[in-house]
Amino acid sequence: MARMKFLCDADRCIECNACVTACKNEHEVPWGINRRRVVTINDGKPGERSVSMACMHCTDAPCAAVCPVNCIYTTADGVVLHSKDLCIGCGYCFYACPFGAPQYPKVGNFGSRGKMDKCTFCAGGPEADGSKEEYEKYGANRLAEGKLPLCAEMCSTKSLLAGDGEIIAQIYKERVMKRGYGSGAWGWKTAYRETIES
Amino acid sequence: MASFARFIRLTLGALAFLLVISMAGPCGAQQINPTASSVKEQQLLQEFDRIQGRVSIPDQRSGILIQPAGREWREFRDLTLRWIGGITILGMLAVLIIFYLSRGMVRLESGRSGRTIVRFTSFERFVHWMTATCFIVLAISGLNITFGRPLLLPLIGHEAFSDWSQWAKYAHNFLSFPFTIGVVLIFLMWIAGNIPNKVDVDWIKRGGGLVGHDHPRAYRFNAGQKAIYWIVVIGGGLVAATGYALMFPFYLSGIEGMQLAQIVHSIVAMLFIAAMLAHIYIGTIGMEGAFEAMGSGTVDVNWAREHHALWLEEQNARTSARPQPSASAAE
Amino acid sequence: MLIKRTQQRSQIASRGSIAAGMSGQTNDLDRRTFLRRSGLAGGALAALGTLPLAGVRKAKAAAAGPLTSGATVRKSICTHCAVGCTVTAEVLNGVWIGQEPSWESPINRGSHCAKGASVRELVHSERRLRYPMKLVGGQWTRVSWDTAINEIGDKLLEIRQKSGPDSVYWLGSAKMTNEGSYLFRKLGAFWGTNNTDHQARICHSTTVTGVANTWGYGAMTNSFNDIRNAKTQIIMGGNPAEAHPVSLQHLLEGKELQKANFVVIDPRLTRTAAHATEYVRMRPGTDIPVLYGMMWHILQNGWEDKEFIKQRVYGFDDLRKEVEKWNPEEVERVSGVPGEQLKRVAKMLATEKPATLIWAMGQTQKTVGTANVRASCIALLLTGNVGAPGTGANIFRGHDNVQGATDVGLDIVTLPFYYGLAEGAWKHWARVWEVDYEFLQSRFDSKQIMETPGIPLTRWFEAVTLPKDQVAQKDNVRAVFVQGHASNSITRIPESLKGLKALELLVIADPHPTTWASLAVEAGRRDGLYILPVSTQFECKGSRVASNRSLQWGEQIVKPVFESKDDLEVTYLMAKKFGFADKMFKNIKVENDLPEAEDILREMNRGSWSTGYCGQSPERLKAHMKNQAKFDFLSMRAPKDDPEVGGDYYGLPWPCWGKPEVRHPGTPLLYNTNLHVMDGGGTFRPRFGLEREEKLPDGTTRKVSLLADGSYSKGSAIQDGYPEFTLASLKKLGWDTDLTAEEMATINRVNPANPDAVSWSLDLSGGIQRVALMHGCVPYGNGKARMNAFGLPDPIPVHREPIYTPRVDLVSKYPTLPDAKQFRMPNIGFSVQKAAVEKGIAKQFPLVLSSGRLVEYEGGGEETRTNPWLAELQQDMFIEINPGDAADRGIKDGGWVWVTGAESNSKARMKALVTERVGKGVAWMPFHFGGWYAGRDLRDNYPKGTDPIVLGESANTITTYGYDPATGMQEPKVTLCQIAAA
Repeated sequence: MARMKFLCDADRCIECNACVTACKNEHEVPWGINRRRVVTINDGKPGERSVSMACMHCTDAPCAAVCPVNCIYTTADGVVLHSKDLCIGCGYCFYACPFGAPQYPKVGNFGSRGKMDKCTFCAGGPEADGSKEEYEKYGANRLAEGKLPLCAEMCSTKSLLAGDGEIIAQIYKERVMKRGYGSGAWGWKTAYRETIES
Repeated sequence: MASFARFIRLTLGALAFLLVISMAGPCGAQQINPTASSVKEQQLLQEFDRIQGRVSIPDQRSGILIQPAGREWREFRDLTLRWIGGITILGMLAVLIIFYLSRGMVRLESGRSGRTIVRFTSFERFVHWMTATCFIVLAISGLNITFGRPLLLPLIGHEAFSDWSQWAKYAHNFLSFPFTIGVVLIFLMWIAGNIPNKVDVDWIKRGGGLVGHDHPRAYRFNAGQKAIYWIVVIGGGLVAATGYALMFPFYLSGIEGMQLAQIVHSIVAMLFIAAMLAHIYIGTIGMEGAFEAMGSGTVDVNWAREHHALWLEEQNARTSARPQPSASAAE
Repeated sequence: MLIKRTQQRSQIASRGSIAAGMSGQTNDLDRRTFLRRSGLAGGALAALGTLPLAGVRKAKAAAAGPLTSGATVRKSICTHCAVGCTVTAEVLNGVWIGQEPSWESPINRGSHCAKGASVRELVHSERRLRYPMKLVGGQWTRVSWDTAINEIGDKLLEIRQKSGPDSVYWLGSAKMTNEGSYLFRKLGAFWGTNNTDHQARICHSTTVTGVANTWGYGAMTNSFNDIRNAKTQIIMGGNPAEAHPVSLQHLLEGKELQKANFVVIDPRLTRTAAHATEYVRMRPGTDIPVLYGMMWHILQNGWEDKEFIKQRVYGFDDLRKEVEKWNPEEVERVSGVPGEQLKRVAKMLATEKPATLIWAMGQTQKTVGTANVRASCIALLLTGNVGAPGTGANIFRGHDNVQGATDVGLDIVTLPFYYGLAEGAWKHWARVWEVDYEFLQSRFDSKQIMETPGIPLTRWFEAVTLPKDQVAQKDNVRAVFVQGHASNSITRIPESLKGLKALELLVIADPHPTTWASLAVEAGRRDGLYILPVSTQFECKGSRVASNRSLQWGEQIVKPVFESKDDLEVTYLMAKKFGFADKMFKNIKVENDLPEAEDILREMNRGSWSTGYCGQSPERLKAHMKNQAKFDFLSMRAPKDDPEVGGDYYGLPWPCWGKPEVRHPGTPLLYNTNLHVMDGGGTFRPRFGLEREEKLPDGTTRKVSLLADGSYSKGSAIQDGYPEFTLASLKKLGWDTDLTAEEMATINRVNPANPDAVSWSLDLSGGIQRVALMHGCVPYGNGKARMNAFGLPDPIPVHREPIYTPRVDLVSKYPTLPDAKQFRMPNIGFSVQKAAVEKGIAKQFPLVLSSGRLVEYEGGGEETRTNPWLAELQQDMFIEINPGDAADRGIKDGGWVWVTGAESNSKARMKALVTERVGKGVAWMPFHFGGWYAGRDLRDNYPKGTDPIVLGESANTITTYGYDPATGMQEPKVTLCQIAAA
């Protein structure tokens, strides 16, 4: 069984934000909800690197552990999904998440932190695959169609990789070997408790 | 106990975060080969507790890329807090039960005089009960967040539990306002009688009369009540402040601040609940005649003499100085 | 509800295989597909670009999920830059419901940038202009198309009557398809004016002129894919990571695979520079000193390519004299770049070959733009880095069809395909259009004005407001008809407001009202302003030319939405109104007022011999789109045995010689002598005579040949330089017997008086080209590239300080060119520069202001700022300022500032972005914002519901005077400003 992961090769990422708008396009994500974002570290200085980040679908996901209503679960592919029917919008998953992935509609309005929304690895939610309900709550389910997340598929420089962790790790390793440098598989240690030795 | 050590570390860490909040990362000297000098994740994580950069969207908090501290907060929430809560609340219940079984209700030694004296005005009682009602709902809905998933969810199932938790969350959020107002009023109303003084030292030395059978003298509030007062004022203030920090995310602080706020909120709340259990005990089955003070607002003069002799003297002095026809005080 | 999309899509979705478990399906992806999708094609797991595509197709078919099962898949081309990414659309019931990666495109291989990944929104945007409107007494009023066309037409005819045809300015667009821009230019010709222009004027007009004057054609010599072959990539004056993000796929993979030098020379540490192996920071406006600084080291060390220069270059000695002035000390004094660093870069360029030089508007948008790009070409010639894989002048163009619109002559200096404006050119097109030359001439005020270049769009407002005697045509410009161009991308907005007010008629045909409308209302217009809803390019079909000269045919994805009309239809309606539609559309089928794109392309094929647009028939282009997967990723060539596209290069990059039947494969790399011309080989084009008389120091003269010396393309029957082919030269070679009788008849028809003079570019039969190709020769001849481009204002590039420079001490040594009359208008750059120095402008406005692109927006930005998926990512106009300069002024990151400019008391309010991206003394602005003016929000000036989500101050409110003498290019890349906390 594949274990799905994301890997952003920061030596390729140019902060073009294709991943961000591809996500918005595929799932019709509303204004203010950023399932994916690109952060630039050391902006404007030599050594500047940009990293595209969304839910990393952690091993032993902290969000799932702290959820008071236990609405977050991990699929057999290692994708971390949640049920919006069960979510109470308490914000705990956001406190626990190392990657700032959970998003809430109308954050800040008193008492109305809505149902949590986050990257689904284009795998929908607990509803039946490809159903209308699933689409409306979580967006498209590309995984069920045999496709990978659109953010990675559309990445302008093939920086963002998505797929079976072992394969993408191998791709990254070979890239680093070939070119002779690599700033690391950002977030892997925190999310998966492993790094890619290069 | 390892988890507790982690919790301490996290707390200190959270404070340290606040100090470095504006630092974006290490700045290298001007170099000519940007590829060779690229930032490395491992190096950044070793130097800082989190990795932060620039984003173009207005939501600047999304500029925090990786913040592993959530792991430690998770440990606190899932383990440490449950231990703290379990021990304090169950411990307090156990103590009270043992005490009740061994000592029973503290009786009025001299029996009822039949004459009463006003102890709390209707406004004071209104404030007390408003705050108390809110507190109970807040406590139950709050405990649900910590203990509901392991205890209640398996009993009633996912959907019912989510529905209940959703309402509990709404109740928790909305009732926080009357509760906070209540705490503020309590603070203002009763501050005069709750400044610690020498009498309290004596009262504490004699264990409030629990040790032995005599009654240490006290003004309107004895040291025990003062303790409850200050627990309510300080504890209430803390849970309110931290609670609002959580309810209005990012107005006051970032994630690390909210993690810290949640830690403070939950620990104080647990201790608060334990303290209030004791308060409820002593105000109801723990002591004869005590409930009336907040029930009808008047207490038997004998009760007042036994528990608040100095206060009774004060009251008497005041009434004799200014005769009141309706005075029911005896002399 | 968090997420909502069209009902249809969800319904298809529910019809799909719900049985497929959440977990199991991924196994259906075979490993190869998976790797391709993960962008592996860089590692050893899969050789670069050579993945067996059969596997991919099979996997795709197997993976076809519920969403694709009901929808039609249509392919078009992204409308945002000139990389030429294929957009794959899923359409159901006329609604564009989704975008999928375009794996098969050899250009983008599935990738997009932020803009490309969100183009679907452009079409269904609720903020599009829905119906024609006109301004009546300051109020926007809905009108019908018929009313609009009639009223506009009547007014234009009235102006024509009164002031002559040149008083109407036809401003077209690089967003139009080839067919659209060609028709627009043809409309100008039939209307009787050369005042027809488009965005190329303000982006790469200097490139086109400078590069064409060097070696024949003004276009990118190689391709994005070919950059993968380079061992040294130098990007100077470009930020492709933001302006052409998908090109970075090729650049960065090339950098990795070749372990290539990746040098970025720029005043700003851009997102591109972040990946550089060497970053050179220079003062804005000193491109020539930096390039000469490099050449100085090259000559000093003898690193130049002597063989290449001897065989293929003219004017080396003249260059040497100029370069000698630029020793490292002078270069550092002027540009700030240390000599040691330049020596390192120079060595890479000259010795770590193949090396390519990449540029965009950093070089072109200057008063010395033409000279800048000339210097860049010269650096390549000096090091022999042209005409081979991995080399070349890789000029990244900015709009989806800006190369095409330039080629089809939507321009003030030429008829389609660079034929120029001389009588011969008009006669050629009269023959192609099958109209009388006399008819065309009768449309103009005079034969003289018919052969005179028009007014550049950069100066349209001066053509309105200058005294009549200073505008060298019958009258001032009185009406502007703009179809697909932003007003805020033109410099000197405060001055343009005067023009907006003074016009008698302004027509804006665009999917959005654009800043023209909001600024015109701000300028005080209350009437005489029409806005017509034109469809986006996704709603029409036709060919587009990517930066690498590949033509791609885009299908119509959906029908024009609301009341909007196709560009072609609007042009037809205008022609019909003017009464010359029958003549203009003589050979073009028109159905329901909509001309057929295929027919227009066929007409272009019949007339475009000069540029080799003659082989790209609609049928061939469509076959390419259908067979995208067959083209090799690196060479872009299809296997020779393919029945439909065998041996072709993807998109038949021009020149694609001869008639379509000749099956020329296109030319992926210009001037590549290592290939047979029928395999895409070529030579430098002798375009400037065969020999040149040079004065020697002793006063005598000598004649120097401008033909190649011992260099020729592979398989050439003539093994030396040769001039362009004419019937006469065929006869001399004895090759005229290869012409068919039919071809001979056509040649005789072209010039009955003197058929011998008929050349390869005028021969409508294509016979002369065919015969030349048959003998392995390039139709245009085999000449030398020119280091000395005699005829240009500076034949050898000369450094000239910007009009507004902070280095007033350098102005006396490096002044701009003297005032002169160019393009029917006075160019008073010298006076302005002199006045600025005398008034001490540099003291009041000490910061250099430059401008550029953001990845989220494009051009004037109205359509992208209307797209919520993009607008959310950049919500405020900002100016980048160095932390040192910010601290001096008490400016905080994210705080509001007032930026003031050196002319017209200009001011603008925006946010500060305090960053080390810019060096001390330099500020930078994105140029996509509009809808604010001098601190005022103009949202109310837009017709209701059509205002973009994000508005902001335009950079060009602050920009100043300055026009390239050769092209009229504006100077938004370097001026002066002051910034203060607001």
